[in-house]
Order: sequence, then structure tokens, then C-alpha cells
Amino acid sequence: MQDKEKILAIIQTYISKMPSLPITVSKILQIANDPKTSPSDLNQVISLDPVLMGRVMKLINSAYYSLNNQITSLVRAIIMLGINTVKNLALSTAVLGQLSAKGNFQALNIDGFWRHSLCVGVTAKQIAVKRRKDPKQLEEYFVAGLLHDIGKIPLNNKLSAEYVNALALTDKERAPLYLLEERVMEVNHCEVGRLIIKNWNLGPVMEDVVFFHHFLDSYPGANRDVLLTVAAANFFANTFQIGFSGDRYPEKLPASVFEELGITLDDLEGMEDRVSGEIEKAKIFLSVSQ
Amino acid sequence: MSIRVTFRGVRGSIPVPGPTTVRYGGNTACIELRFGVEDRLIIIDAGSGIRELADIIMKKDLPRGPIKTKIFLTHTHWDHIMGFPFFTPIFIPGTEIDVYGPVTYEEDTLDRIVGDQLRYRYFPVRIEELRAKISYYQLKEGNIDLGGGLTVTTKYLNHPILVLGYRFEYEGKVFCTAYDHELFRNVFDVKPEDPGYDPAAVKEGEIAAREENDKVRAFYKGADLLVHDTQYTHKEYLAGKTGWGHSSYEWAINQAHRAGVKHLVLFHHDIARSDDQLEALLAGYTASIKGKSPLTVSVAQEGKTIEI
Repeated sequence: MQDKEKILAIIQTYISKMPSLPITVSKILQIANDPKTSPSDLNQVISLDPVLMGRVMKLINSAYYSLNNQITSLVRAIIMLGINTVKNLALSTAVLGQLSAKGNFQALNIDGFWRHSLCVGVTAKQIAVKRRKDPKQLEEYFVAGLLHDIGKIPLNNKLSAEYVNALALTDKERAPLYLLEERVMEVNHCEVGRLIIKNWNLGPVMEDVVFFHHFLDSYPGANRDVLLTVAAANFFANTFQIGFSGDRYPEKLPASVFEELGITLDDLEGMEDRVSGEIEKAKIFLSVSQ
Repeated sequence: MSIRVTFRGVRGSIPVPGPTTVRYGGNTACIELRFGVEDRLIIIDAGSGIRELADIIMKKDLPRGPIKTKIFLTHTHWDHIMGFPFFTPIFIPGTEIDVYGPVTYEEDTLDRIVGDQLRYRYFPVRIEELRAKISYYQLKEGNIDLGGGLTVTTKYLNHPILVLGYRFEYEGKVFCTAYDHELFRNVFDVKPEDPGYDPAAVKEGEIAAREENDKVRAFYKGADLLVHDTQYTHKEYLAGKTGWGHSSYEWAINQAHRAGVKHLVLFHHDIARSDDQLEALLAGYTASIKGKSPLTVSVAQEGKTIEI
């Protein structure tokens, strides 16, 4: 096995030109190439692709960096950057996806990964709505959920053979995926995810959610609310098996998380239809039609 | 007088010399700023108007010693940088120029974007052959102390590429630019029957656009002199110019009034706008705000100086 430094170097190189998910590429190309694209279509297609979402957020936040206020809303980003800028970025990200689509997602199933990411985003937002969070913050919950497993993309795409091995071991040992990632590849998806979030300059909330979503007990920071919400949404996605991102035997979520958030398992169960409905709607939207 | 503002180019898009633009001028954007008794020079934008400014600098400033100046580019669209190769001081040994400006999301740096105009395919002199010392500084939003009591604050505006507005403050006086700029608008606000209608996005977009416009007004609040993009009339804007990144006269006047600006200068004239039209428009708008606003409004005119 290669040493950790080497692996991190491979991942760092990959991050700078990380492609869109193959599942969204055709729709992105269709929308971005259409001169009459509506902002809502653009908003929707970006919301469905964790990589593209991250890149738009990087753009708005690096441009406005010195302002020191993190922008986490895609609607605001589109208004501030302008439709054409966002379209061009979407196009370049999708083209990378087109070039690299072959041979990717050998270990993780792409459709499963996409459904899982979207499910956690939609559910995190639903939980925030249920908890009557400020409407201006809802997008942040969605983005955090959508991006929480982003670290799996480089592992899966650049270290495919190792990732197949790690996934096989989770089944064999009935153990959480992040532990097997560490054993096989020296790094886990939380650590890789943090590299991506740092590279994209998405700020402390996203960084904490991505890095600590399997380590709630050791989290010392100020973004506990979003972190626990995403952890609960992740638990929901795994329990109700909406999508699949490789973690068949995740660690149990501490009961205190529900207490702290003031929600119950019944609340989550009540969201199932709505969440599944949103994912199906997204799926129909992504099927390219003229 | 603390700050002297002279317009060297007032036009948008491309130079338009000819009989209908002879009074207000056909050169693209360039503004000469002079500060205090020492006549310190700062230039905003390097549109075609900078060529004539170069002649003046050669006559007036060079005899006093080597040219040391700063050029602040509002953005890198061609009408705002096209005069750079014709700015004579760049060919004079001893000249020192600091070029500041925002860079859009491409990988290229400011020195490439501006300096690449000096390549054989475009121009007979290469950037490497210049005798002047030219330094480039990429700007974002923020505040810079330029020394000698002069500060500049930058603010992103709304245009298809990144544009910065500049707020210069000197001896208690404030001079601002807000071009090229279109008011932020809620692009999500479509009809409910439209297939892309999303009520949550409409609501959020409305708040975002309002807040961004508030920030721009706060940026030029109380300015003694504001140079604002007024490429279109509101009627023209609505008839197919939406999203092009420019403002209407009506908007600029309204926003300047709300921000407590003392003197608004209408700027970045459309290439099709004649001198007669500019005068008629000014007369109309001046009459319509008379008695309702203390705001002074004038039209940017090549060669004209305003002192504050």
C-alpha cells in the first residue's frame, strides 16, 4: 500500500479538476448550452450535483472572500454572479465529467451515491424546517447535507481498486466504511472531504460537517446544530435505505442527537414520502428531454 | 478644492467619433483625478480617452519629474482597457505605474489580461519592450490606504464579469464610481405559470437582490460626487437590455437620491446617444426632480472638470 503522503498528493491533484457526477452531466450540458435557460433550471441542476454546487460556492466565496461573510445560498450566488458566469462554470465542470465518465464509479454505485447525497441534503433541510430555523439558513442545511460525503468521490475515482477492497471489507466485517477506508487507504472520506472543502474555501460550517459527521462526540466547535442535523439526516438515509453510499453498517447514532435536536424518529419517518418524492422529481428532471 | 475630477472618456462599448458626439465626446471610459495642492494623479480606467490624458501628462507632469501614478480599472472589458497601449508614459524610462483591478473567474492574471494587448498580433510593441516599471495588483472588496490621507474602498457591482466601484476619500471629500452596473434584480421572479417557477427561490431572490442593492447604496452613501452608469433610459432597458449589466437614468437618479449623494454625473453613454439627446434627457430629468430632491445631476462631458 502506498503511504499516506502519496495518497493525499494524488487526491489533492484530483480535487482541482474534479468532475460533475456522470448522472447530472447530460442535463447540465443541456441547460448550460441553452441560451434561454431559466435561472430556476440552473438552480435546480446545480442543486443536484454536489461537485458543481461546491464549485459555484467556491467561486462566489473566493470572489467575495475579503468580505468575510460566507455565502451558502445558491439563489443568492446566481443573482450576484450572474446567470452567464454560473452557466460557464457549470459547462466547464460538466465537460470534465464527460471526459472522465468512463471508468469512474467502479466501487460505489453512482446512482446510489447520488440518491444518498441528495436524500441527506433534502432531509437536513426538512429537519431544519421542522425545527423552525430561519428561512435564510435553510439552504445551508441542504448544501451541508448534499456535500457531507464529497470526500468519497476522489477515493472512489482515483483509488478504485482500494475502494472496492474497502467496501468488500465493510460487508465482511460488518463495520463502518470510514474505519475500513482508514485501514486500506490510510485516510477516510471525512479527511478527504475536508481537503476539498478547504480547497473550495467553503468555510467552517461545511468543513465541520464534512469532517465530523462520523465523530460527533469529539466535535468541539460552534456549528453543532448543522452537524447534528446532517448526522440525523444521514442516519435516516441509511435506515430507510434511500440511496446507498457504501455504508451498510454505520455506527449507531447516539440517542442524545435526537434529544438535542428536539426531533423524534417518527418525525423522520414522516418525512420519507416527501424526501423520496423530491428525489424522484429530481430524477425525472435529470432525464434529458428536448 | 480637494479633488479635481476630469472626464477623458465618457462613452461605453467602443469609441464613437463624429458630428453627433462632438460636444460630449466619443472616447471610452477614462477619468483623471487630481488630489490636493501637490496635484497627485490617479487614473480610473484606460479606455480610449487615456490617450489624450497621456498627452496632457507628458506636457504638464513629465517636466516636473518621472511619472508615478496609479490606474484603477473598474473591470477588464475592452472599452475600459483598450487605451492602455496608447498611454505614452509606458514608453518613458523612469515611469512607475501601479495598475489595480478585479479579475474575473478565469485563470489569467491582471498583467496578462491588460498587458497581452501589447503583442505583435495586436500592436507593434511588445510588453517586454516597455521602459516603464508597471506593477499589477488584483483587487477584491476592501479598503486600501494610498498614503497622504487618501483612501479607496472597493465594492463589487452587477455586470456580466466582476466589476469594482471605487470610493475615494480625501480631506473629508468623497468621490465614487458605480459603473458598469445594473441594479441587482431577482432573476427568479417569473410568472407562476412559468415552468421554472419556484416560490421559495422567488422569495429568497427578492431578499438577496434588495440586500445587494442596499449594499451598493451604502457604498456611495453621502458622496460629494458619484459617477454612475446610465447607458439606457428605463424604456430602452425594458425593451431588450435587461441583464446586459447597465443601469437606466431613472434608476441611477433614484438610487443616488436615496443615498444622499450631492452631485450625480450620468456616465457610460450609449454609443447611439447623440449630444442633443443627452441634453434633452438631462433637461427632462432635472425638471422632474426639481423641488423633490436636493440632488444635482449633470452629464459627463469629455474635457470637463468638476471640483469638490
